[in-house]
Amino acid sequence: MDAKIIEFTGLLRENGLRVSIAEHLDALRAVACLGCRDRELFKSTLRATMVKRAVDLPVYDELFDLYFSGLGQAIRQSATALMGALQLGEAEFQALMDRLAEVLDELGITLSELAQALLQHDAGRLEKLLRQAARASGVERIQRAFQEGRYSHSTAQHLGLGALSEELQQLRSQIGHASLSQEEAQALQQFVDRRLQDLNDLIKHAVRLEVEKHDQLLRERRHLTNLAEKSFYYLSEEEIRRMKEAVAKLAQRLKNVVVIRRRKAKRGKFDVKDTLRKNLQYGGVPFRIQFDRRVRDKPQVVILCDVSDSVRNVSRFMLQFVYSLQDLYSRVRSFIFVSELGEITQLFKESEISDAIDQALTGSVINVFAHSDFGRTFRQFHRDYLAAVSKKTTVIVLGDARNNYNVPQEWVLRDIRLRAKQVIWLNPESRPTWGFGDSEMDRYQPFCDVVEECRNLNQLYRVIDRLVS
Amino acid sequence: MFESVDDVIARLAAQKYICSRRIGTVVYLAVHLEKPILIEGPAGVGKTELAKVLAGALGLDLIRLQCYEGLDEAKALYEWEYAKQLLYTQILKDKITEIVGGAVSLKEAVDRIAREDDVFFSDRFILPRPLLRSIRSPQRTVLLIDEIDKADTEFEAFLLEVLSDFTVSVPELGTLRAKHIPIVILTSNNAREMSDALKRRCLHLYIDFPPAAQELEIVRLKVPGISEALAGQVVDAVQRLRKLDLKKAPSISETLDWAKTLTLLNVERLDETVVNDTLSTILKYEGDIRKGHEELKAYIEKRKATAGSGVADEKEFLH
Repeated sequence: MDAKIIEFTGLLRENGLRVSIAEHLDALRAVACLGCRDRELFKSTLRATMVKRAVDLPVYDELFDLYFSGLGQAIRQSATALMGALQLGEAEFQALMDRLAEVLDELGITLSELAQALLQHDAGRLEKLLRQAARASGVERIQRAFQEGRYSHSTAQHLGLGALSEELQQLRSQIGHASLSQEEAQALQQFVDRRLQDLNDLIKHAVRLEVEKHDQLLRERRHLTNLAEKSFYYLSEEEIRRMKEAVAKLAQRLKNVVVIRRRKAKRGKFDVKDTLRKNLQYGGVPFRIQFDRRVRDKPQVVILCDVSDSVRNVSRFMLQFVYSLQDLYSRVRSFIFVSELGEITQLFKESEISDAIDQALTGSVINVFAHSDFGRTFRQFHRDYLAAVSKKTTVIVLGDARNNYNVPQEWVLRDIRLRAKQVIWLNPESRPTWGFGDSEMDRYQPFCDVVEECRNLNQLYRVIDRLVS
Repeated sequence: MFESVDDVIARLAAQKYICSRRIGTVVYLAVHLEKPILIEGPAGVGKTELAKVLAGALGLDLIRLQCYEGLDEAKALYEWEYAKQLLYTQILKDKITEIVGGAVSLKEAVDRIAREDDVFFSDRFILPRPLLRSIRSPQRTVLLIDEIDKADTEFEAFLLEVLSDFTVSVPELGTLRAKHIPIVILTSNNAREMSDALKRRCLHLYIDFPPAAQELEIVRLKVPGISEALAGQVVDAVQRLRKLDLKKAPSISETLDWAKTLTLLNVERLDETVVNDTLSTILKYEGDIRKGHEELKAYIEKRKATAGSGVADEKEFLH
């Protein structure tokens, strides 16, 4: 059993669960303590000792079922199927196998281990042999489903299928020559034939199980990491949904980090007055030293998000990010624009994040089907909302600066920059394309403190990280 | 101690705590392997309660350490009682003068004082906090470290030392080894991910909201006066609410609160007015209440429809 647990641990590790040696030893000790008779108990024993993250639980459950019952179950099923095919009940089936053993005894034949396991329906032994053969054939290196055939073949070789079928062939003829009634001999021969066929299927099944084990669970993880690097331009509906979750998680992580960072930064200089007062209880002897608490300003943010077709996804995640981090800022005002400007701060306060974003992006605030006009938008901002920008404000503009050859009005950006703490421009287009065609990036760039390319989640995360700290 | 997993479940049940086999297994292992348990899960599923009933079931003392931001060793482990030390030096001034009395040089005086300083750094002046208390306790204890996720990461690192070998070093006294290794239970609400080092040292237990049947059993056990029909409806309703996208899903403790409220009000079955008046016991946000209300309205109407169609159902309600 220990060997099996060791192998299972290896499997867990391969699928991205971190199981340390100490945990592994714990698992072995725990199993020694509780035994492995009760399957459910065994499962929770291994889970408690080796799986420490809630996110890993589903992966563990699946792997456990695959590893600890996949093959065994298949073997039992094949026997049941055979019973059905031969139209025998369980007792009759057993009687048939007993009869076969008797005949073998009479004929003085000793079968090989494999043949015995197969013909006596010894599921445990058969499973072990199959597993050994599968491992010997290096099946864990399998990568694609179409390699199944090759590995099945190699597994069969390692199992000694050729020798087995010869052995069984011989057995058949011996049964034929033995002094048995015609009927009985036929039944036995049929049984032997069927079992040989079953073994073929089982080999295939064993290999397929391996493929599933190594492939299916990794896929999920790979998908998530890829998502963070994937350009916002090419997201499918499903990916947007998943991205939303990823953003929520990232936001939570960022929040934790920032809270710790801020707390550490809070400790300032030695505070004489406070120290004296705190130590009065010790007769004025300074046992406890008190420090100043520096108060750091939380950033105020004004966001202008382009929501024209080309950049809508970035805006979505940007807004989701910022609003998930609401309490890290002292004040956030957000605007969306295409050819006109609309404020959505209130909308976000009143409804839930995802609802609000959907509403904003489907045109209930401004017309989202117009052509982008940055110049006009900026002028409108200058006229109506310039007061929102103060010395503490960070202004973020999110857009591709594709102005459809309208007047760029870059002087507005200059004015904003004079009033604001900083102006950050995030462009979801890749850098080499800036300034070509109707992109006015080159004109706007001089009036921004920071200009960043922001094409995927990782880049967005970095920008926001810099913003809050 | 416990004889088997079933024994764990039975004895916890005797303390009015109903748990699944999974929980029982982990508790059994923790007691036998002397390993801490790290319990994670949503708020209000009985994480802290498990520690309490475990102490009750084993007849051990429960020592609780509530974690919070800024919790440090002095609050968790031990502290010297400065004020008491000062007071003693003040009162014993004469005695001290006497000891130092014959000294000719300053060095000699200091030496003489130094000879006596272990008087002031002895058990008498140490103020044991939960961790030290549980380590020095003459019998085995259950140590509950509650909401470890609220504590700082530095504190977590410090805990590692204590949890791995159950020794504490006090510079003035030397190393204190636990006489009996306590049963340690850490709970976390997932405000942040615990470090791998900590997780490695613990058995991990994830408690989620229980399935309907188990929750019904809990309600029956904890709210003795409740009628069968009402208990079923309450659990049904709560289970439905949990499926909604709520800011805060109703916990088991809130289910119990609700059930108690309803029995207090002598409610026989859920209807719209009752739900209206009492929903605030299980849902704590305005938006949630609105959503929950709609969901339950649909649920009650559906119930009514099925109840109206068959007499058998009506009968079930009556008793």
